[in-house]
Amino acid sequence: MGKISAWERFSAVFPRLADGVRNTGRRPVVHTGRSSFAVTAPPIERPRVPEPTSGPLIVQSDKTLLLEIDHEAAADCRRAIAPFAELERAPEHVHTYRLTPLGLWNARAAGHDAEQVVDVLLRYSRYPVPHALLVDVAETMGRYGRLTLAKHPVHGLVLTTTDRAVLEEVLRSKKMAPLVGQRVDADSVAVHPSERGQIKQVLLKLGWPAEDLAGYVDGEAHPIELAEDGWHLRPYQKEAVEGFWHGGSGVVVLPCGAGKTLVGAAAMATAKATTLILVTNTVSARQWKAELIKRTSLTEDEIGEYSGTRKEIRPVTIATYQVVTTRRKGVYPHLELFDSRDWGLIVYDEVHLLPAPIFRFTADLQARRRLGLTATLVREDGREGDVFSLIGPKRYDAPWKEIENQGYIAPADCVEVRVTLTDAERLAYATAEPEERYRFCATTATKTRVTRELVEQHTGEQTLVIGQYIDQLDELGETLNAPVIKGETRNTERERLFEAFRQGEISVLVVSKVANFSIDLPEAAVAIQVSGSFGSRQEEAQRLGRVLRPKADGRAARFYSVVARDTIDQEFAAHRQRFLAEQGYAYRIVDADDLRG
Amino acid sequence: MVGSGPTVSGMTTSTQRSAGGPAGVPDGAGVPRTLAEDLRSRTDAELAALLRARPDLTTPVPVDLTQLATRATTRASVARVLERLDRFTLQVVDAAVVLPEGFSYARLRELIGDDVPQLPGAVRALRERALLWGPDDGLHVVRTVRDLAGATPAGLGPALAVALAGTGPARLQDVLAGLGLPPTADAVGAIAALADLFGDHKALAALLEGAPPAAVEVLDKLVWGPPTGIVRGADRPVRADEANTPVEWLLARALLVPAGPQTVVLPREVGLTLRGGRVHRDLEPEPPALGIVERDAQIVDAAAAGAGFTAVRRIEDLLELWSLGGPAVLRAGGLGVRDLKRVAAQLDVTEAEAALWLELAYAAGLVAGDGEADERWLPTPAYDTWRGRPVAERWSVLAGVWLETTRVPGLVGTRDDKDRPVNAFGPGVDRTTAPEVRHALLGRLAGLPAGTAAPAADLLADLAWHRPVRTARLRSELVDRTLVEAELIGVTGRGALASAGRALLTGELARAADLLTPLLPTPLDHVLLQADLTAVAPGPLVLELAQELHLAADIESTGGATVYRFSESSVRRALDSGRTAADLHRLFTTHSRTPVPQPLTYLVDDVARRHGRLRVGAASAYLRCDDEAVLNELLADRRAHGLRMRRLAPTVLAAEGAPDAVLSTLRSLGYAPMAESSTGDVVVTRPDALRTPPRSLPPRVTGEPPAPGATLIDAAVTAIRAGDRAATSRQRGTGDDEAPGELPRTSAAETLLALQAAQADRRAVWIGYVTREGRATQRIIVPLGLEGGYVTAQEHTAGELHTYPLHRITGVAPVEVAEPADS
Repeated sequence: MGKISAWERFSAVFPRLADGVRNTGRRPVVHTGRSSFAVTAPPIERPRVPEPTSGPLIVQSDKTLLLEIDHEAAADCRRAIAPFAELERAPEHVHTYRLTPLGLWNARAAGHDAEQVVDVLLRYSRYPVPHALLVDVAETMGRYGRLTLAKHPVHGLVLTTTDRAVLEEVLRSKKMAPLVGQRVDADSVAVHPSERGQIKQVLLKLGWPAEDLAGYVDGEAHPIELAEDGWHLRPYQKEAVEGFWHGGSGVVVLPCGAGKTLVGAAAMATAKATTLILVTNTVSARQWKAELIKRTSLTEDEIGEYSGTRKEIRPVTIATYQVVTTRRKGVYPHLELFDSRDWGLIVYDEVHLLPAPIFRFTADLQARRRLGLTATLVREDGREGDVFSLIGPKRYDAPWKEIENQGYIAPADCVEVRVTLTDAERLAYATAEPEERYRFCATTATKTRVTRELVEQHTGEQTLVIGQYIDQLDELGETLNAPVIKGETRNTERERLFEAFRQGEISVLVVSKVANFSIDLPEAAVAIQVSGSFGSRQEEAQRLGRVLRPKADGRAARFYSVVARDTIDQEFAAHRQRFLAEQGYAYRIVDADDLRG
Repeated sequence: MVGSGPTVSGMTTSTQRSAGGPAGVPDGAGVPRTLAEDLRSRTDAELAALLRARPDLTTPVPVDLTQLATRATTRASVARVLERLDRFTLQVVDAAVVLPEGFSYARLRELIGDDVPQLPGAVRALRERALLWGPDDGLHVVRTVRDLAGATPAGLGPALAVALAGTGPARLQDVLAGLGLPPTADAVGAIAALADLFGDHKALAALLEGAPPAAVEVLDKLVWGPPTGIVRGADRPVRADEANTPVEWLLARALLVPAGPQTVVLPREVGLTLRGGRVHRDLEPEPPALGIVERDAQIVDAAAAGAGFTAVRRIEDLLELWSLGGPAVLRAGGLGVRDLKRVAAQLDVTEAEAALWLELAYAAGLVAGDGEADERWLPTPAYDTWRGRPVAERWSVLAGVWLETTRVPGLVGTRDDKDRPVNAFGPGVDRTTAPEVRHALLGRLAGLPAGTAAPAADLLADLAWHRPVRTARLRSELVDRTLVEAELIGVTGRGALASAGRALLTGELARAADLLTPLLPTPLDHVLLQADLTAVAPGPLVLELAQELHLAADIESTGGATVYRFSESSVRRALDSGRTAADLHRLFTTHSRTPVPQPLTYLVDDVARRHGRLRVGAASAYLRCDDEAVLNELLADRRAHGLRMRRLAPTVLAAEGAPDAVLSTLRSLGYAPMAESSTGDVVVTRPDALRTPPRSLPPRVTGEPPAPGATLIDAAVTAIRAGDRAATSRQRGTGDDEAPGELPRTSAAETLLALQAAQADRRAVWIGYVTREGRATQRIIVPLGLEGGYVTAQEHTAGELHTYPLHRITGVAPVEVAEPADS
């Protein structure tokens, strides 16, 4: 396996897909902007009469689409439906996509129309598609773009409609009243330029999402070039940047380890303007900085860090969510950051974690280009609509498995290790208070023992042990004789340990949830999670991402979850297990006893 | 009651059975004088056509033609047949009613217009339905039709002679003078003279020609009806030479006639002349054109098949859910609003659609109340029969029921006349016109080439033309709903009638199913198992596999495919109902197209490992477990204290309380206990699907008797003929033997029989009666009681009750009641 290049492996698995990528004529999955040349939606054909039991797609009445991936037309179908359907689950045989209003509007924003969507559904569907569903698709898609926000020489910003009744309907809403000014004519109304974000939010909630054609300010120019010395942007990264740039603003969805930082850097190089980058924490900020210095023409002096410790504002400034959302006496003292320069581009790292106040600030930044980067659009607080209206529609999306198949991220072998608690532990578990039960079963001594055995099995491989509870981590650190990184660990110490881990000086590292986000540990080959925030899928995605960076020897990564049998731990694990299986990862369950044997 | 000459009214009295209308008219002798005679002269085929067009006449089958004629002229029956006429035929009826009795076909044609090729057809239809009878030069409209048409048919006022009936002679002479006619001796002569003048179309036209423009304006207001206007002092005497206003000018010439102190009326002759000799301004001999949309017939069939498949699926999903316990029956009958909402959520459809599936299942007899004290809606045994049949047949059953049911699902969720909510399954969802509207609409679509759709508005207009009286209310709503429902059920696809729907309309359910079958996905015997613990059935499954999977997994998504999800509880359910882990593994390996994923195998083994580890008995409820630690755990668990368990042995606990409660508490604590019988056997508790006792179909609420079949009609015609022959010959017999007015004489036995019959029918009879003084008399009595040699009867003339000794009654004869004209 190790000797075969990623490309050969990919070509072997997906010959047709590989052709498409190589010739760059057809792209595997493409999201493009509205501009005429980049639209690669499937050509319009007369809908063929569907023959029963032929197509790879089954349209369910709950608006899910089941794609049988072993079908010969599955690859074509996947490409055709990707622009408008959200991939929900991608286990080994049948992938589930879902038609949602947001997904359909994303497609509209990318230049697809309802007829194309209906055509695709009819063309690939195995069974007759319910008429009501087709009507619903057309109706939903027809809602996008009835209202547009555009520049106006006199009024600055106007909301214009192609359907007067819709305008009347939305104007009757109480929420709209403070956002709009005087009526320009029967079909348009002036909008206070400062409310460009809010009005988009409100309109989305009213079910009439507005298309924002008001354009962007260029911002203060600043020369930025990619320094492609010895490396190149991967094809999908290029496509992502293209998709974003032509769309103006929006979100790029790429799996962990697929090089989202580079997409950000390439976007900056395209914008060639001052850039504000918002990231989750200080470590992540430092890594962005290091990466930008390495991959672009930017020098250390041009990049500022705006965090709890430093407050530098430079042509490229990296700020943490935490510092931006700090509140003192009811005001946000660091809001000046947004106005301190004429930013040409704002990059949001890990959009799915964006704290609520950031949305509010973002609403005021609608004239700036905004790039959101994330591994998943699923937000556990359900504010996907705000991401859509304030940062922008999804501009690019590639499923994990596909990028893995292309060899850019490492394949992973996920193993759930079931640990049988000792009798004494079970007794203690049964008598524990309900709120303590998870903590108890997640941190039992038996788990520590099994974890040690696992680490021993993988001696010589870079191993991360990830957990939730500090005392458990401390205990593990002691047992494994490995350093522990947790919330109270200083940043300098953290970076020292990470560097040592990167260099192979340390082979085992115990980390708390502080390491969940945006740390870059290229050579972690094995991850062992011993406890987590209950059944969080998002956390699972992040942790899996730790081991997905491609290994130098092309080996598959190992991802262990140690789970206490017959306890609530097992229930939470089932959630995570389902998530992994839905992402298409091979998943096994073994008993800890078998592991030893 | 205008007109003279023979009318059908002679038949509306109640004594035809023996006495009949005009006695002594031989069959087929010349021109029929009554409807009965007209009917008698018709062929059997014509009579059959009448009965077919008016099925209400066959229930019960009339005894003879006279009775048939009577029944055919009752108000209810005539109203019913008028409801079924199209707009043009009704226009012809209007025109016929305007004319006096005994009018000619030529006159009718004048009123309708010369160049209307549809007229003969309409007249034929009216004749066939016995609304119009008589030869072409002496046509009669059934009296009831005239009554129903009202005083102002087609917006025309009364004939001049009628309008002037109450006018004083002096006034009439003034009018004559005003019109330049010579005075007459009396009022009758004056009216006749005026009627003559007005009957002359040309003379009247000339008179109107000379009217001043202001008077023409007044007439224009009345000409298209209503023909009455309000004028102050309408009945004041006006002379032509004193007329000052336009109204006075008209009144003086009887072009307007006072109908009261404040009202004037436009005489019919004037109205007709002003209308140019026609009755209708806009004649509609043809239904309005349909704006049709051509679609690919194959796509139509495919779309309909998809909808049909979904329809069957939805009802099945719903009733499977209810098999485990249906919702409560409301006290007033029906299904609660909340339950409807729940069904909508469970099926993931709108409430309106949910109501359709519910009502359809109900109308098909698949669901009914279980009749228990705490009544619930449950699937019926018929559901099991239905479920066992192929999808296409199941569909044809549903679609057939939908077509004929009087239930209108669209009414569910609306409010009735008393502002009460209309509930599914409840009363108030029935509309007698619904099946007719469905047939009419779909029949119209069936008349178009395959794959042709038409807009709802056009279909509505078309329906309104074909049945203007019937279905006027509710119609627009019903049409819209019918089209939506037809689409959902899959009778139509993309608005056009599918071929299966076409077969359905002609009543060929089996053929409809055959046509549908090739379009439906074929049942599969395999699924795709996946590591995320789902099984995807990429199409409908064979029943057996579907049932097994249903037991071992939960359904997550339905549609063309079904997504099943395995979980600890679903696997436990399968184990609880007697499956073993090995059974499940075998199920997976035999039916999976893909390798069985390791997590699924592990899940089954893991649940099986724990399944039944705890066993609970019913003696006083005990728990035993080979694993002492489990029992320690349980005993120590504070949450289990409610069970008050104590240790019986190292591996056995006893608990107070019912085993059920123990089981559920243990399960809630996360164990997988198993019930044990008193002999130590494992008790298998698979929840049996609940069913009602056998149920018949809900009654169709309909105002219509069922349409009689050809056999019935033939039999009816034969019976009527036979009865008629018997009746007419008897009449002749009595008429010849006995001079009218003579004392009837019959034997004692005949007398008794005749009286009994008369008593049963509450019919008046003549009797010859010898008074106490020995005087022979005749009386008409209605016998009320007959016992002990005495007849208690109402005397016809005095209206008093009398008792007559039987031995003094010399004879009985039927009473002949006839119109003076006939006798």
